[in-house]
Amino acid sequence: MSESGDRSAQFEREALVHLDRLYGLALRFTGGDVPRAEDLVQDTILRAWRGWDGFERGTNARAWLATILRNTFINDFRRRRRRPDPVGFDDVSEREVFAEIADEDPEGGFFDHLVDAEVSAAIDELPDEFRVAVVLSDLEGLSYEEVSDAMGIPVGTVKSRLYRGRRRLQRRLYSYAKEMGYLS
Amino acid sequence: MNDRGPDDRGEGEGEQISCQEAVERVYEFLDGELDPGWTERVRRHAELCERCTPHFEFERAFLEHVRKKGLARERSELLERRIREALEGE
Repeated sequence: MSESGDRSAQFEREALVHLDRLYGLALRFTGGDVPRAEDLVQDTILRAWRGWDGFERGTNARAWLATILRNTFINDFRRRRRRPDPVGFDDVSEREVFAEIADEDPEGGFFDHLVDAEVSAAIDELPDEFRVAVVLSDLEGLSYEEVSDAMGIPVGTVKSRLYRGRRRLQRRLYSYAKEMGYLS
Repeated sequence: MNDRGPDDRGEGEGEQISCQEAVERVYEFLDGELDPGWTERVRRHAELCERCTPHFEFERAFLEHVRKKGLARERSELLERRIREALEGE
């Protein structure tokens, strides 16, 4: 097999197998914006292909690709956003769920009924500044410090974005569970 | 005049925090982002307070579900084809 054929086969085997996972991540970052998510995945793959010789074989290719995707997204996100748009406090959508549910479902059993698509849709609905913080922290596993560096906002702001974003997400999932009859 | 109130905490062992102080740090606690002193204070409160124990479990369950279900694979054959074509052009 030729050297270039070898390189493609290896890229196929180790990188392209993660396409679905990368696309899922891209959709969450962009809030379900299909054309933007597709462009993001394509940019990521092309960058990965160009940098493939620098990738250390045998290490985690999925994590490496996810990092490329994240950096590509964040550069674009920070360029589009001239300044972070402050999201006004919303008393209803950010109200604590537990207080309402403490007696009927204190262990959050309704979460078990929620399927991936429902959780994804609820993440997509979050305002950009909240969604990106939640995706970086909860889906990508970044520390507050790393989220702060990525988004270019202070750690204190990361905390409040996560707190409020998760509250909204939780409230949305709770409403959804009620609508679907997952809760009595 | 001491504005911290009579039952306020020093740095000692018996130091206790209120439900509000614990709950407003629930995510930082679950994310492992609190300093050791606060981690211990919140952990102890969450373990001992009848009201907060289930609340912390609820929030933990919530985060676990988001992490597990939020990152679903999404399949797009169109995208896959597009990417393969782009790679051929490289």
